[in-house]
Amino acid sequence: MRIVICTYISCLLLLAACSNQYHITGHSDKQYAVSNTGDSNMLKFLQPYKQSMDSQFSVILGRCDTILYKSQPECTLGNFMVDAMTEALRKKDATIEAGVFNYGGIRLPYIGTGDITLGKIFELMPFDNLVCIIDIPGDTMLKFCNHIAAYGGWPVNGIQFTIKDKQAQQIVINGKPLDTHKTYHIAVNDYIAGGGDNCSFFINLHKQTENILIRDILIAYIKTLSKQNRPLHPYIEKRIQNAG
Amino acid sequence: MQDRRSFIKKATIGGGLLLAGGFPFESFAGERIQKLTILHTNDVHSRLEPFPMDGGKYEGQGGAAARAALISQIRKEEEHVLLLDAGDIFQGTPYFNMYKGEPEIKAMSMMRYDACTMGNHDFDAGVEGFAKQLPNANFQVLIANYDFTGTALEGQTQPYTIIEKGKLRIGIFGLGIELQGLVSPNAFGLTKYLDPIPVANATAELLKRRKNCDMVICLSHLGYEYQNNKVSDVILGKESTNIDLILGGHTHTFLDHPTVVRDKNGAEVTINQVGWAGVRMGRLDYFFSSKNGSELSNSQSVIINKETSAK
Repeated sequence: MRIVICTYISCLLLLAACSNQYHITGHSDKQYAVSNTGDSNMLKFLQPYKQSMDSQFSVILGRCDTILYKSQPECTLGNFMVDAMTEALRKKDATIEAGVFNYGGIRLPYIGTGDITLGKIFELMPFDNLVCIIDIPGDTMLKFCNHIAAYGGWPVNGIQFTIKDKQAQQIVINGKPLDTHKTYHIAVNDYIAGGGDNCSFFINLHKQTENILIRDILIAYIKTLSKQNRPLHPYIEKRIQNAG
Repeated sequence: MQDRRSFIKKATIGGGLLLAGGFPFESFAGERIQKLTILHTNDVHSRLEPFPMDGGKYEGQGGAAARAALISQIRKEEEHVLLLDAGDIFQGTPYFNMYKGEPEIKAMSMMRYDACTMGNHDFDAGVEGFAKQLPNANFQVLIANYDFTGTALEGQTQPYTIIEKGKLRIGIFGLGIELQGLVSPNAFGLTKYLDPIPVANATAELLKRRKNCDMVICLSHLGYEYQNNKVSDVILGKESTNIDLILGGHTHTFLDHPTVVRDKNGAEVTINQVGWAGVRMGRLDYFFSSKNGSELSNSQSVIINKETSAK
Protein backbone atom coordinates (compact mmCIF):
# COMPACT_ATOMS: atom_id res chain seq x y z
CA MET A 1 0.00 0.00 0.00
CA ARG A 2 1.42 3.33 -0.96
CA ILE A 3 0.57 6.10 1.40
CA VAL A 4 1.47 9.69 0.98
CA ILE A 5 1.39 11.17 4.42
CA CYS A 6 1.90 14.78 5.08
CA THR A 7 0.70 16.08 8.36
CA TYR A 8 0.71 19.42 9.96
CA ILE A 9 -1.04 20.91 12.89
CA SER A 10 -2.35 24.36 12.74
CA CYS A 11 -3.31 25.90 16.01
CA LEU A 12 -6.12 28.24 15.41
CA LEU A 13 -6.98 31.44 17.09
CA LEU A 14 -10.58 30.49 17.25
CA LEU A 15 -12.50 31.68 20.20
CA ALA A 16 -15.59 29.61 20.47
CA ALA A 17 -18.87 31.35 20.99
CA CYS A 18 -19.94 31.03 24.61
CA SER A 19 -22.77 28.67 23.75
CA ASN A 20 -20.56 26.17 21.95
CA GLN A 21 -19.23 23.36 24.06
CA TYR A 22 -16.05 22.64 22.14
CA HIS A 23 -13.78 24.65 19.93
CA ILE A 24 -11.15 23.60 17.41
CA THR A 25 -7.64 23.75 18.77
CA GLY A 26 -5.79 22.27 15.81
CA HIS A 27 -5.97 19.97 12.85
CA SER A 28 -3.74 17.74 10.80
CA ASP A 29 -4.12 16.36 7.29
CA LYS A 30 -3.13 13.26 5.45
CA GLN A 31 -3.81 11.84 2.02
CA TYR A 32 -4.14 8.24 0.95
CA ALA A 33 -3.30 6.96 -2.50
CA VAL A 34 -6.02 4.33 -2.80
CA SER A 35 -4.12 1.33 -4.16
CA ASN A 36 -4.19 -1.17 -1.30
CA THR A 37 -5.68 -4.67 -1.29
CA GLY A 38 -9.43 -4.58 -1.64
CA ASP A 39 -12.00 -5.35 1.01
CA SER A 40 -13.35 -8.86 0.39
CA ASN A 41 -16.97 -7.98 1.20
CA MET A 42 -16.92 -5.15 -1.29
CA LEU A 43 -15.32 -7.36 -3.95
CA LYS A 44 -18.02 -9.95 -3.32
CA PHE A 45 -20.71 -7.29 -3.62
CA LEU A 46 -19.29 -5.96 -6.91
CA GLN A 47 -18.67 -9.38 -8.46
CA PRO A 48 -22.12 -9.98 -10.03
CA TYR A 49 -22.24 -6.43 -11.44
CA LYS A 50 -18.71 -6.79 -12.79
CA GLN A 51 -19.40 -10.17 -14.33
CA SER A 52 -22.39 -9.11 -16.36
CA MET A 53 -20.71 -5.85 -17.25
CA ASP A 54 -17.50 -7.48 -18.40
CA SER A 55 -19.40 -9.92 -20.60
CA GLN A 56 -20.92 -6.97 -22.39
CA PHE A 57 -18.19 -4.34 -22.38
CA SER A 58 -14.94 -6.27 -22.79
CA VAL A 59 -15.60 -6.72 -26.52
CA ILE A 60 -12.58 -5.50 -28.52
CA LEU A 61 -13.51 -2.98 -31.22
CA GLY A 62 -10.07 -2.34 -32.67
CA ARG A 63 -6.71 -1.05 -31.56
CA CYS A 64 -4.55 2.03 -31.38
CA ASP A 65 -0.80 1.96 -32.01
CA THR A 66 -0.05 5.06 -29.95
CA ILE A 67 -1.23 6.47 -26.64
CA LEU A 68 -4.14 8.83 -27.20
CA TYR A 69 -4.24 11.67 -24.70
CA LYS A 70 -6.31 14.64 -23.64
CA SER A 71 -4.72 18.08 -23.58
CA GLN A 72 -5.14 21.63 -24.85
CA PRO A 73 -5.15 23.42 -27.20
CA GLU A 74 -5.27 20.25 -29.38
CA CYS A 75 -4.98 16.53 -28.58
CA THR A 76 -5.15 13.14 -30.23
CA LEU A 77 -8.11 11.95 -28.15
CA GLY A 78 -10.07 15.07 -29.12
CA ASN A 79 -9.13 14.84 -32.81
CA PHE A 80 -10.33 11.23 -32.92
CA MET A 81 -13.69 12.23 -31.43
CA VAL A 82 -14.30 15.34 -33.52
CA ASP A 83 -13.10 13.68 -36.75
CA ALA A 84 -15.35 10.65 -36.24
CA MET A 85 -18.33 12.89 -35.52
CA THR A 86 -17.74 15.33 -38.39
CA GLU A 87 -16.96 12.68 -41.00
CA ALA A 88 -20.06 10.67 -40.07
CA LEU A 89 -22.26 13.74 -40.49
CA ARG A 90 -20.59 14.83 -43.76
CA LYS A 91 -21.71 11.52 -45.26
CA LYS A 92 -25.30 12.60 -44.59
CA ASP A 93 -24.87 16.27 -45.39
CA ALA A 94 -21.97 17.31 -47.62
CA THR A 95 -22.56 21.03 -46.86
CA ILE A 96 -21.11 20.67 -43.33
CA GLU A 97 -18.06 22.90 -43.17
CA ALA A 98 -16.64 22.01 -39.80
CA GLY A 99 -17.17 20.16 -36.54
CA VAL A 100 -16.51 21.06 -32.91
CA PHE A 101 -16.48 18.95 -29.75
CA ASN A 102 -16.30 20.47 -26.28
CA TYR A 103 -13.08 19.70 -24.40
CA GLY A 104 -14.97 18.85 -21.19
CA GLY A 105 -16.79 16.16 -23.16
CA ILE A 106 -13.58 14.09 -23.39
CA ARG A 107 -14.05 11.96 -20.29
CA LEU A 108 -10.77 10.02 -20.15
CA PRO A 109 -7.30 11.48 -19.64
CA TYR A 110 -5.80 8.93 -22.05
CA ILE A 111 -6.33 5.64 -23.89
CA GLY A 112 -3.29 3.36 -23.73
CA THR A 113 -1.69 1.66 -26.76
CA GLY A 114 -3.28 -1.67 -27.68
CA ASP A 115 -6.79 -3.05 -27.89
CA ILE A 116 -9.73 -0.69 -27.46
CA THR A 117 -12.70 -2.26 -25.74
CA LEU A 118 -16.32 -1.17 -25.91
CA GLY A 119 -16.04 -0.34 -22.19
CA LYS A 120 -13.20 2.07 -22.92
CA ILE A 121 -15.36 3.99 -25.40
CA PHE A 122 -18.13 4.15 -22.79
CA GLU A 123 -15.61 5.69 -20.40
CA LEU A 124 -14.42 8.14 -23.05
CA MET A 125 -17.99 9.08 -24.01
CA PRO A 126 -20.34 7.98 -21.22
CA PHE A 127 -23.05 10.49 -22.14
CA ASP A 128 -25.95 9.63 -24.41
CA ASN A 129 -25.42 12.75 -26.50
CA LEU A 130 -26.68 12.99 -30.07
CA VAL A 131 -25.15 14.77 -33.04
CA CYS A 132 -26.50 18.06 -34.20
CA ILE A 133 -26.03 20.38 -37.20
CA ILE A 134 -26.38 24.08 -36.46
CA ASP A 135 -26.67 26.99 -38.87
CA ILE A 136 -24.31 29.53 -37.34
CA PRO A 137 -24.25 33.13 -38.65
CA GLY A 138 -20.69 34.43 -39.21
CA ASP A 139 -20.74 36.88 -36.29
CA THR A 140 -21.85 34.08 -33.93
CA MET A 141 -19.18 31.85 -35.48
CA LEU A 142 -16.58 34.45 -34.47
CA LYS A 143 -18.07 34.54 -30.97
CA PHE A 144 -17.92 30.72 -30.85
CA CYS A 145 -14.25 30.66 -31.90
CA ASN A 146 -13.43 33.22 -29.21
CA HIS A 147 -15.36 31.09 -26.72
CA ILE A 148 -13.25 28.05 -27.69
CA ALA A 149 -10.10 30.17 -27.37
CA ALA A 150 -11.14 31.46 -23.92
CA TYR A 151 -11.59 27.84 -22.81
CA GLY A 152 -8.03 27.06 -23.99
CA GLY A 153 -8.92 25.19 -27.19
CA TRP A 154 -11.48 22.51 -28.07
CA PRO A 155 -11.27 19.65 -30.59
CA VAL A 156 -12.14 21.00 -34.06
CA ASN A 157 -12.34 19.60 -37.59
CA GLY A 158 -12.22 22.02 -40.53
CA ILE A 159 -11.31 24.99 -38.32
CA GLN A 160 -7.91 26.53 -37.73
CA PHE A 161 -6.89 29.44 -35.55
CA THR A 162 -4.27 30.79 -33.17
CA ILE A 163 -5.08 31.67 -29.57
CA LYS A 164 -3.66 34.99 -28.45
CA ASP A 165 -4.76 36.71 -25.22
CA LYS A 166 -7.66 34.21 -24.96
CA GLN A 167 -8.95 35.35 -28.39
CA ALA A 168 -9.10 33.44 -31.68
CA GLN A 169 -6.93 34.97 -34.41
CA GLN A 170 -6.48 34.18 -38.12
CA ILE A 171 -9.58 32.02 -38.13
CA VAL A 172 -9.84 29.73 -41.14
CA ILE A 173 -12.98 27.66 -41.73
CA ASN A 174 -13.07 24.95 -44.35
CA GLY A 175 -9.95 26.41 -45.96
CA LYS A 176 -11.16 30.03 -46.10
CA PRO A 177 -10.84 32.97 -43.70
CA LEU A 178 -13.90 33.45 -41.48
CA ASP A 179 -16.57 35.50 -43.26
CA THR A 180 -18.88 37.21 -40.74
CA HIS A 181 -21.57 37.65 -43.46
CA LYS A 182 -21.82 33.96 -44.23
CA THR A 183 -23.86 31.29 -42.41
CA TYR A 184 -21.95 28.14 -41.53
CA HIS A 185 -23.17 24.56 -41.17
CA ILE A 186 -21.36 23.13 -38.20
CA ALA A 187 -21.50 19.67 -36.62
CA VAL A 188 -21.56 19.67 -32.82
CA ASN A 189 -22.98 17.52 -30.05
CA ASP A 190 -26.46 18.31 -28.74
CA TYR A 191 -24.97 19.30 -25.36
CA ILE A 192 -23.30 22.45 -26.66
CA ALA A 193 -26.07 22.97 -29.23
CA GLY A 194 -28.44 23.25 -26.28
CA GLY A 195 -26.27 25.87 -24.58
CA GLY A 196 -23.98 23.56 -22.58
CA ASP A 197 -20.48 24.73 -21.59
CA ASN A 198 -21.92 28.24 -21.69
CA CYS A 199 -22.68 28.15 -25.41
CA SER A 200 -25.89 30.11 -24.80
CA PHE A 201 -25.45 31.82 -28.21
CA PHE A 202 -26.64 28.55 -29.83
CA ILE A 203 -29.93 28.24 -27.98
CA ASN A 204 -32.05 30.19 -30.46
CA LEU A 205 -30.28 29.14 -33.66
CA HIS A 206 -31.77 26.81 -36.23
CA LYS A 207 -30.52 23.29 -35.66
CA GLN A 208 -31.20 19.76 -36.68
CA THR A 209 -30.53 16.97 -34.21
CA GLU A 210 -29.87 13.54 -35.70
CA ASN A 211 -30.96 10.53 -33.71
CA ILE A 212 -27.43 9.08 -33.63
CA LEU A 213 -25.47 8.65 -30.42
CA ILE A 214 -21.98 10.13 -30.61
CA ARG A 215 -20.71 7.05 -28.81
CA ASP A 216 -22.09 4.83 -31.60
CA ILE A 217 -20.24 6.97 -34.14
CA LEU A 218 -16.97 6.48 -32.24
CA ILE A 219 -17.57 2.74 -32.05
CA ALA A 220 -18.32 2.52 -35.79
CA TYR A 221 -15.22 4.59 -36.62
CA ILE A 222 -12.87 2.22 -34.77
CA LYS A 223 -14.63 -0.86 -36.16
CA THR A 224 -14.29 0.45 -39.73
CA LEU A 225 -10.55 1.02 -39.25
CA SER A 226 -10.25 -2.43 -37.76
CA LYS A 227 -11.97 -4.03 -40.76
CA GLN A 228 -9.39 -2.31 -42.96
CA ASN A 229 -6.72 -3.71 -40.67
CA ARG A 230 -5.72 -0.19 -39.63
CA PRO A 231 -5.04 1.02 -36.10
CA LEU A 232 -6.54 4.22 -34.73
CA HIS A 233 -3.82 6.85 -35.03
CA PRO A 234 -4.95 10.48 -34.89
CA TYR A 235 -2.37 13.23 -35.45
CA ILE A 236 -1.78 16.68 -34.03
CA GLU A 237 -2.18 18.99 -37.01
CA LYS A 238 -1.88 22.50 -35.53
CA ARG A 239 -5.59 23.03 -35.94
CA ILE A 240 -5.57 25.25 -32.88
CA GLN A 241 -2.32 26.56 -31.51
CA ASN A 242 -1.22 29.05 -28.93
CA ALA A 243 0.55 32.15 -30.20
CA GLY A 244 4.30 31.78 -29.72
CA MET B 1 -15.76 9.43 24.44
CA GLN B 2 -12.04 9.27 24.39
CA ASP B 3 -10.22 9.81 27.65
CA ARG B 4 -7.09 11.89 27.88
CA ARG B 5 -4.74 8.96 28.21
CA SER B 6 -5.89 7.29 25.07
CA PHE B 7 -5.72 10.61 23.26
CA ILE B 8 -2.12 11.16 24.32
CA LYS B 9 -1.24 7.63 23.33
CA LYS B 10 -2.83 7.97 19.94
CA ALA B 11 -1.38 11.39 19.38
CA THR B 12 2.08 10.05 20.21
CA ILE B 13 1.74 7.12 17.87
CA GLY B 14 0.10 9.29 15.28
CA GLY B 15 3.14 11.44 14.78
CA GLY B 16 4.80 12.95 17.76
CA LEU B 17 2.35 15.64 18.71
CA LEU B 18 4.10 15.93 22.05
CA LEU B 19 7.41 16.60 20.35
CA ALA B 20 6.11 19.59 18.49
CA GLY B 21 7.98 22.63 19.58
CA GLY B 22 5.81 25.50 20.62
CA PHE B 23 2.62 23.51 20.67
CA PRO B 24 0.83 24.59 23.81
CA PHE B 25 0.09 21.08 24.94
CA GLU B 26 0.04 21.98 28.61
CA SER B 27 -3.06 23.98 27.91
CA PHE B 28 -4.77 20.69 27.00
CA ALA B 29 -3.91 19.20 30.34
CA GLY B 30 -6.91 20.22 32.34
CA GLU B 31 -9.32 20.09 29.43
CA ARG B 32 -11.53 17.57 27.82
CA ILE B 33 -10.11 16.78 24.43
CA GLN B 34 -12.10 15.43 21.54
CA LYS B 35 -10.69 14.21 18.26
CA LEU B 36 -12.64 13.91 15.03
CA THR B 37 -11.34 12.15 11.93
CA ILE B 38 -12.89 13.37 8.67
CA LEU B 39 -12.46 11.23 5.56
CA HIS B 40 -13.56 12.58 2.21
CA THR B 41 -13.85 11.85 -1.50
CA ASN B 42 -15.14 13.78 -4.51
CA ASP B 43 -15.88 13.15 -8.20
CA VAL B 44 -15.58 9.39 -7.89
CA HIS B 45 -17.52 9.17 -11.20
CA SER B 46 -18.68 5.55 -11.03
CA ARG B 47 -15.10 4.27 -10.60
CA LEU B 48 -16.05 1.11 -8.76
CA GLU B 49 -12.97 -0.67 -10.07
CA PRO B 50 -9.35 0.47 -9.98
CA PHE B 51 -7.83 1.89 -13.17
CA PRO B 52 -6.50 -0.96 -15.34
CA MET B 53 -2.80 -1.81 -15.48
CA ASP B 54 -2.24 -0.17 -18.87
CA GLY B 55 0.82 1.91 -18.14
CA GLY B 56 -1.28 5.00 -17.49
CA LYS B 57 -0.91 7.57 -14.76
CA TYR B 58 -3.49 6.04 -12.43
CA GLU B 59 -2.98 2.34 -13.15
CA GLY B 60 -3.99 0.14 -10.23
CA GLN B 61 -5.36 3.10 -8.28
CA GLY B 62 -8.85 3.68 -6.94
CA GLY B 63 -11.76 1.29 -6.68
CA ALA B 64 -14.49 0.83 -4.08
CA ALA B 65 -12.92 -2.31 -2.56
CA ALA B 66 -9.55 -0.65 -1.83
CA ARG B 67 -11.32 2.40 -0.42
CA ALA B 68 -13.58 0.24 1.76
CA ALA B 69 -10.54 -1.60 3.18
CA LEU B 70 -8.80 1.69 3.95
CA ILE B 71 -11.89 3.09 5.63
CA SER B 72 -12.47 0.05 7.81
CA GLN B 73 -8.83 0.10 8.89
CA ILE B 74 -9.19 3.77 9.93
CA ARG B 75 -12.46 3.01 11.72
CA LYS B 76 -10.56 0.42 13.77
CA GLU B 77 -7.98 3.01 14.77
CA GLU B 78 -10.22 6.02 15.35
CA GLU B 79 -13.31 6.37 17.48
CA HIS B 80 -15.00 9.30 15.80
CA VAL B 81 -14.98 9.14 12.02
CA LEU B 82 -17.01 11.18 9.54
CA LEU B 83 -17.08 9.97 5.94
CA LEU B 84 -18.20 12.52 3.36
CA ASP B 85 -18.44 12.94 -0.42
CA ALA B 86 -18.60 16.19 -2.38
CA GLY B 87 -20.61 15.01 -5.39
CA ASP B 88 -20.34 13.57 -8.91
CA ILE B 89 -20.83 10.07 -7.65
CA PHE B 90 -22.39 9.19 -10.99
CA GLN B 91 -21.16 8.84 -14.58
CA GLY B 92 -17.84 7.84 -16.06
CA THR B 93 -17.72 4.07 -16.41
CA PRO B 94 -20.09 1.58 -18.06
CA TYR B 95 -21.32 0.69 -14.56
CA PHE B 96 -23.37 3.87 -14.67
CA ASN B 97 -24.68 3.26 -18.20
CA MET B 98 -25.73 -0.22 -17.16
CA TYR B 99 -26.96 0.11 -13.59
CA LYS B 100 -27.78 3.86 -13.36
CA GLY B 101 -25.96 4.43 -10.08
CA GLU B 102 -27.25 1.53 -8.02
CA PRO B 103 -23.88 -0.13 -7.20
CA GLU B 104 -22.24 3.28 -6.56
CA ILE B 105 -24.83 4.25 -3.94
CA LYS B 106 -24.98 0.75 -2.42
CA ALA B 107 -21.18 0.68 -2.12
CA MET B 108 -21.22 4.04 -0.35
CA SER B 109 -23.85 2.73 2.06
CA MET B 110 -21.65 -0.30 2.74
CA MET B 111 -18.70 1.99 3.48
CA ARG B 112 -21.03 3.89 5.86
CA TYR B 113 -20.80 7.31 4.33
CA ASP B 114 -22.45 9.90 6.58
CA ALA B 115 -23.41 12.41 3.90
CA CYS B 116 -22.81 13.65 0.37
CA THR B 117 -23.76 16.62 -1.73
CA MET B 118 -24.87 16.56 -5.38
CA GLY B 119 -22.63 17.24 -8.35
CA ASN B 120 -23.79 18.24 -11.83
CA HIS B 121 -23.29 14.68 -13.12
CA ASP B 122 -25.58 13.36 -10.41
CA PHE B 123 -28.30 14.81 -12.66
CA ASP B 124 -27.18 12.70 -15.64
CA ALA B 125 -30.07 10.27 -15.23
CA GLY B 126 -32.34 13.25 -14.53
CA VAL B 127 -33.65 14.36 -11.14
CA GLU B 128 -35.79 11.21 -11.27
CA GLY B 129 -32.76 8.99 -11.86
CA PHE B 130 -31.03 10.26 -8.73
CA ALA B 131 -34.24 10.05 -6.69
CA LYS B 132 -34.68 6.45 -7.83
CA GLN B 133 -31.35 5.44 -6.24
CA LEU B 134 -32.03 7.15 -2.90
CA PRO B 135 -33.71 4.13 -1.28
CA ASN B 136 -30.25 2.49 -1.56
CA ALA B 137 -28.59 5.30 0.39
CA ASN B 138 -28.01 4.90 4.13
CA PHE B 139 -26.56 8.40 4.16
CA GLN B 140 -27.98 11.88 3.74
CA VAL B 141 -27.91 13.99 0.61
CA LEU B 142 -27.21 17.58 1.65
CA ILE B 143 -27.85 20.46 -0.69
CA ALA B 144 -28.78 23.92 0.58
CA ASN B 145 -28.87 25.93 -2.65
CA TYR B 146 -31.02 23.78 -4.94
CA ASP B 147 -34.76 24.13 -4.62
CA PHE B 148 -36.31 20.84 -5.72
CA THR B 149 -39.93 21.94 -5.29
CA GLY B 150 -42.07 20.22 -7.90
CA THR B 151 -39.40 17.65 -8.80
CA ALA B 152 -38.87 14.00 -7.87
CA LEU B 153 -36.31 15.12 -5.28
CA GLU B 154 -38.70 17.38 -3.38
CA GLY B 155 -38.38 16.46 0.30
CA GLN B 156 -35.71 13.84 -0.48
CA THR B 157 -32.67 15.98 0.37
CA GLN B 158 -31.78 18.19 3.33
CA PRO B 159 -30.00 21.53 3.31
CA TYR B 160 -27.92 20.52 6.32
CA THR B 161 -27.54 17.95 9.04
CA ILE B 162 -26.07 17.86 12.52
CA ILE B 163 -24.08 14.77 13.41
CA GLU B 164 -23.03 14.10 16.98
CA LYS B 165 -19.71 12.34 17.41
CA GLY B 166 -18.69 11.79 21.03
CA LYS B 167 -19.33 15.12 22.71
CA LEU B 168 -19.08 17.03 19.46
CA ARG B 169 -21.85 18.53 17.39
CA ILE B 170 -20.81 18.80 13.76
CA GLY B 171 -22.94 20.83 11.35
CA ILE B 172 -22.65 19.81 7.70
CA PHE B 173 -24.33 21.41 4.69
CA GLY B 174 -24.06 21.06 0.93
CA LEU B 175 -23.67 23.47 -2.01
CA GLY B 176 -24.12 22.74 -5.70
CA ILE B 177 -22.91 24.44 -8.86
CA GLU B 178 -25.00 26.57 -11.27
CA LEU B 179 -26.80 24.04 -13.46
CA GLN B 180 -27.81 26.31 -16.36
CA GLY B 181 -25.21 26.02 -19.11
CA LEU B 182 -23.68 22.92 -17.53
CA VAL B 183 -26.50 20.40 -17.24
CA SER B 184 -29.20 19.77 -19.84
CA PRO B 185 -32.42 21.54 -18.79
CA ASN B 186 -34.22 18.24 -19.47
CA ALA B 187 -32.11 16.65 -16.74
CA PHE B 188 -32.50 19.24 -13.99
CA GLY B 189 -36.10 20.11 -14.85
CA LEU B 190 -37.70 22.46 -12.33
CA THR B 191 -34.68 22.49 -9.99
CA LYS B 192 -33.88 26.06 -8.98
CA TYR B 193 -30.29 27.11 -8.29
CA LEU B 194 -29.84 29.69 -5.52
CA ASP B 195 -26.81 31.96 -5.09
CA PRO B 196 -24.52 29.81 -2.91
CA ILE B 197 -22.80 32.51 -0.84
CA PRO B 198 -25.82 34.00 0.96
CA VAL B 199 -27.27 30.50 1.38
CA ALA B 200 -23.94 29.27 2.82
CA ASN B 201 -23.65 32.15 5.25
CA ALA B 202 -27.23 31.82 6.48
CA THR B 203 -26.87 28.05 6.89
CA ALA B 204 -23.46 28.24 8.59
CA GLU B 205 -24.70 30.91 10.98
CA LEU B 206 -27.74 28.82 11.84
CA LEU B 207 -25.55 25.79 12.52
CA LYS B 208 -22.85 27.51 14.50
CA ARG B 209 -24.75 30.20 16.38
CA ARG B 210 -28.23 28.85 16.86
CA LYS B 211 -27.79 25.10 16.68
CA ASN B 212 -24.56 25.31 18.73
CA CYS B 213 -22.41 23.23 16.42
CA ASP B 214 -18.76 22.97 17.40
CA MET B 215 -17.67 22.80 13.78
CA VAL B 216 -19.30 23.62 10.44
CA ILE B 217 -18.35 21.68 7.30
CA CYS B 218 -19.46 22.65 3.80
CA LEU B 219 -19.63 19.92 1.15
CA SER B 220 -19.24 21.87 -2.06
CA HIS B 221 -19.46 21.02 -5.73
CA LEU B 222 -18.72 24.62 -6.76
CA GLY B 223 -15.16 23.87 -7.91
CA TYR B 224 -11.86 24.83 -6.28
CA GLU B 225 -10.94 28.01 -8.16
CA TYR B 226 -11.46 29.61 -11.59
CA GLN B 227 -9.50 32.09 -13.68
CA ASN B 228 -12.48 34.41 -13.73
CA ASN B 229 -14.63 35.50 -10.79
CA LYS B 230 -17.01 32.51 -11.00
CA VAL B 231 -17.97 31.43 -7.49
CA SER B 232 -15.60 28.75 -6.20
CA ASP B 233 -14.48 27.22 -2.91
CA VAL B 234 -11.72 29.82 -2.56
CA ILE B 235 -14.19 32.68 -3.13
CA LEU B 236 -16.74 31.08 -0.83
CA GLY B 237 -14.10 30.68 1.89
CA LYS B 238 -13.17 34.35 1.74
CA GLU B 239 -16.76 35.58 1.54
CA SER B 240 -18.07 33.38 4.33
CA THR B 241 -18.36 33.42 8.08
CA ASN B 242 -18.84 30.47 10.45
CA ILE B 243 -17.48 27.81 8.05
CA ASP B 244 -14.47 25.85 9.33
CA LEU B 245 -13.92 23.41 6.49
CA ILE B 246 -14.90 23.24 2.82
CA LEU B 247 -14.60 19.81 1.20
CA GLY B 248 -14.86 20.47 -2.51
CA GLY B 249 -15.19 18.83 -5.90
CA HIS B 250 -16.03 19.47 -9.57
CA THR B 251 -12.66 20.81 -10.79
CA HIS B 252 -10.93 17.44 -10.14
CA THR B 253 -8.21 19.38 -8.32
CA PHE B 254 -5.43 17.35 -6.69
CA LEU B 255 -4.31 19.41 -3.71
CA ASP B 256 -1.16 18.15 -1.96
CA HIS B 257 -2.36 19.87 1.20
CA PRO B 258 -5.52 21.67 2.15
CA THR B 259 -5.53 25.39 1.39
CA VAL B 260 -6.20 27.81 4.24
CA VAL B 261 -7.90 31.14 3.54
CA ARG B 262 -9.22 33.80 5.91
CA ASP B 263 -12.96 34.36 6.05
CA LYS B 264 -14.69 37.75 6.37
CA ASN B 265 -13.90 37.82 10.09
CA GLY B 266 -10.28 36.79 9.63
CA ALA B 267 -10.90 33.26 10.88
CA GLU B 268 -9.28 30.31 9.14
CA VAL B 269 -11.25 28.31 6.58
CA THR B 270 -9.62 25.11 5.41
CA ILE B 271 -10.37 23.95 1.83
CA ASN B 272 -9.58 20.51 0.49
CA GLN B 273 -10.22 18.46 -2.66
CA VAL B 274 -8.76 15.09 -3.65
CA GLY B 275 -8.70 14.93 -7.46
CA TRP B 276 -11.20 12.52 -8.95
CA ALA B 277 -12.07 8.87 -9.65
CA GLY B 278 -11.39 7.78 -6.08
CA VAL B 279 -7.64 7.51 -6.65
CA ARG B 280 -7.13 9.52 -3.48
CA MET B 281 -8.93 9.81 -0.18
CA GLY B 282 -8.48 12.83 2.04
CA ARG B 283 -8.20 12.77 5.79
CA LEU B 284 -8.33 15.61 8.29
CA ASP B 285 -8.02 15.07 12.02
CA TYR B 286 -9.50 17.87 14.11
CA PHE B 287 -8.72 18.36 17.78
CA PHE B 288 -11.23 20.08 20.04
CA SER B 289 -11.09 21.40 23.55
CA SER B 290 -13.98 22.10 25.89
CA LYS B 291 -12.27 25.05 27.55
CA ASN B 292 -12.22 28.52 26.08
CA GLY B 293 -9.00 28.78 24.11
CA SER B 294 -8.16 32.37 24.94
CA GLU B 295 -4.73 31.37 26.25
CA LEU B 296 -3.75 30.50 22.69
CA SER B 297 -2.69 34.06 22.14
CA ASN B 298 -1.20 33.58 18.69
CA SER B 299 -2.27 31.70 15.64
CA GLN B 300 0.51 29.36 14.72
CA SER B 301 1.19 26.47 12.41
CA VAL B 302 3.45 23.66 13.48
CA ILE B 303 4.48 20.83 11.20
CA ILE B 304 4.42 17.74 13.37
CA ASN B 305 4.86 15.01 10.84
CA LYS B 306 6.13 14.74 7.31
CA GLU B 307 6.59 11.26 6.04
CA THR B 308 6.43 9.52 2.71
CA SER B 309 6.45 5.79 2.42
CA ALA B 310 6.31 3.89 -0.84
CA LYS B 311 4.39 0.61 -1.22
